[in-house]
Amino acid sequence: MGLIREPKNVDFTSQSKPWTEIELRDFRKLMNEIKAKNAKPKVRILTGKKKVTA
Amino acid sequence: MSKPRHEPLDFIIDKLTNSIENTSTGEVFDTEIVRMTPKLVTEIKKADWNFDWSKEIKDKSKEVFKLTTVNNPTIIQGLVSIEDKQDHIFMHLIESAKFNKNKDKVYLGVPGNLVAYACKVSVDKGYHGFLAFDAKTALIKHYQESLYATHFRGLRMFIETNAALRLISQYFKS
Repeated sequence: MGLIREPKNVDFTSQSKPWTEIELRDFRKLMNEIKAKNAKPKVRILTGKKKVTA
Repeated sequence: MSKPRHEPLDFIIDKLTNSIENTSTGEVFDTEIVRMTPKLVTEIKKADWNFDWSKEIKDKSKEVFKLTTVNNPTIIQGLVSIEDKQDHIFMHLIESAKFNKNKDKVYLGVPGNLVAYACKVSVDKGYHGFLAFDAKTALIKHYQESLYATHFRGLRMFIETNAALRLISQYFKS
């Protein structure tokens, strides 16, 4: 198990402001695209191999 | 958009074992993440925090979690406030305790641990690990590198599935 050690001079303190409807809409669109991409089975394309015929 | 679900308060919803590292000795301490309830507010010493966490805990649309070591469950190392947005988790606030800030911080790994937990909540709720939050301009690059976060626009950032799973596997023993 690996810890993420933040640099000593960096403090991860964050206060988020509410996202606008437009931001949320665009984010959801992007999120759905990523989910769809992740759901696709990964196909390995073999290149450089020639079909050998008798 | 549908309203977020409100979980009843005054009970602990989760405990997980992770760890943080003492900056001077390198010693690693097992930690727990526990839901903060109004009953536990007295554990928050206002002098140790910049944000008003009592207000955050009282807000029923949000869930606040504390990170402590297993041996000292009343000494809070860090706090995070999240909201269920029905298809992702939104991180409102995250803060390390005063003694875990600046160059003299006592422990390393507090914020990463809390962010990984927020991602785990997202996975557990079926949101594919998606976590949205804002970052200070100067720290966007740092979050991209350390949390595998994606810069969305302006100060907006998010963590997507693969990054979330990576963080969770780094912090939580399976």
